Amino acid sequence: MTELRVRGLVVQHRDSVAVDGVDVSLASGEQLVVLGSSGAGKTTLLHALLGAGPRVQGDVSVGDLDPYDPTHRRNVRRNTGIILQGGDLVPRMRARTAAVSGCSHLFGRSGWWALARGHTPPPLRDRLTELASRQGVTHLLDRRVSELSGGERQRIALVRALLGRPGLLLADEPTAGLDPARAAAAVEALLSHARGAASTTLVVTTHDPAVAARFDRVLALREGRVVHDGPALSAGQVDELYARPVP
Amino acid sequence: MNVTTGSRWGGTAGLVLVGLWALHGVGVQELGGLDARGAAALRGVLRPDLDPQVLREVGTAAVETLQIAVAGLLLAVLAAAPLALLLAGSSRAPRLVRSGARLLAALLRGVPELVYALVFVAVVGLGPLAGTLAVAVHGAGLLAKLWAEQLESVDHRPVEAARLSGAGRAPVLLLAVLPLARPNLLSLLLYQLECNVRTATVLGVVGAGGLGQAIDLSLRLFDYGKLGTLILTVLALVLGVDALSRRVRAAVGADTRTVAP
Repeated sequence: MTELRVRGLVVQHRDSVAVDGVDVSLASGEQLVVLGSSGAGKTTLLHALLGAGPRVQGDVSVGDLDPYDPTHRRNVRRNTGIILQGGDLVPRMRARTAAVSGCSHLFGRSGWWALARGHTPPPLRDRLTELASRQGVTHLLDRRVSELSGGERQRIALVRALLGRPGLLLADEPTAGLDPARAAAAVEALLSHARGAASTTLVVTTHDPAVAARFDRVLALREGRVVHDGPALSAGQVDELYARPVP
Repeated sequence: MNVTTGSRWGGTAGLVLVGLWALHGVGVQELGGLDARGAAALRGVLRPDLDPQVLREVGTAAVETLQIAVAGLLLAVLAAAPLALLLAGSSRAPRLVRSGARLLAALLRGVPELVYALVFVAVVGLGPLAGTLAVAVHGAGLLAKLWAEQLESVDHRPVEAARLSGAGRAPVLLLAVLPLARPNLLSLLLYQLECNVRTATVLGVVGAGGLGQAIDLSLRLFDYGKLGTLILTVLALVLGVDALSRRVRAAVGADTRTVAP
């Protein structure tokens, strides 16, 4: 379980400000969806929670650690499971290797040898068996990622993100490219894990109001600024969020 | 005839004249009147000598050429792999180290294999070792550059995912960069092998072993039948390696065939 605090965060990419004075706090085990159109600053905010991206000002803390402090960053990242937008698995890799690839710090020497022979690193064997079974992907572990459907890849990515028992789970547009049924299943899997026994802090970004409606707390971003932080948005608020700015 | 059509005809006529001037300059008109030696050479090349003894000698030379190509490739890989890792931006090596690696790779590939072969023949003597070293040194510089480009151009998302999971440089390389780049790295390796086979044939002419040396010898001895056999063997070898590499490339799913600069 991990609490999050972001205070006055400003992140700038070259000439454009991607995140502009964002404040948000999450208690341990809380679930948040970040909603906004493309370019609203959702991905940048997610990356900032892991100390990635050019911060101009503001503070970020994950648990008691500052992800922008080089001495803390690795610990923050190793305590975080992340699913990136648009498929972040190596296509020709076996799903088994892809699933354990986020936990290389837990391999040990024997783990690398096991991996080279196509086996699961021993320290991760039980956990992978349990998670793969829970996500229904046990039969896919020896297939190549490129042979899997979008929904199956997403489940492997979720197994990878959860393998290290993270206190914080981040998912950037986890439903991108999935049909409505698979998108709903992917969000349900994230929420049921976060609300389950592990009680993981969860932050999901999306531009899909239907996905956002499944969360109790919505942070809406527009041009890098928070325009809403609270329960689900009304239809009118959603329309306003996605309205084109007046030139 | 309007101005545009006129200038087009003028340009075409100019190009034809330049072509004829070049052909005349290299003496192509002398092809019509071959002397006795020229005719004998042409006859010999067109009628390869298939005597078992000649075939054995040509086979030995072909094996030697392959050995030069493969051994040269192996040595090149040993040098190119660390150089490519240092050159690639994703390695995040210190700037001074990267600049040094870039300069070394440029120096290695900047000198043609033939020049290296002449130098190594002087250093280690006539024979396949000189050819192997020449192929290896030039290939190391070339492979380092091409491999580094492949390592830099992989899909950034899996690499980013590995970095954001807290993995160090080596795990990011082993679990994201190399698996993503592997088909194209292998493709370039096979392309270099094809180049090595062709180059190893040429290098023999300056005494660096293999089929080239046998070609040079048969020319000096006016043994044109054997020369025909050797030329056919070179062709078979190059086409064979080419076909093999094409099949392997397709099997590993390489999506590019970068041509060396």
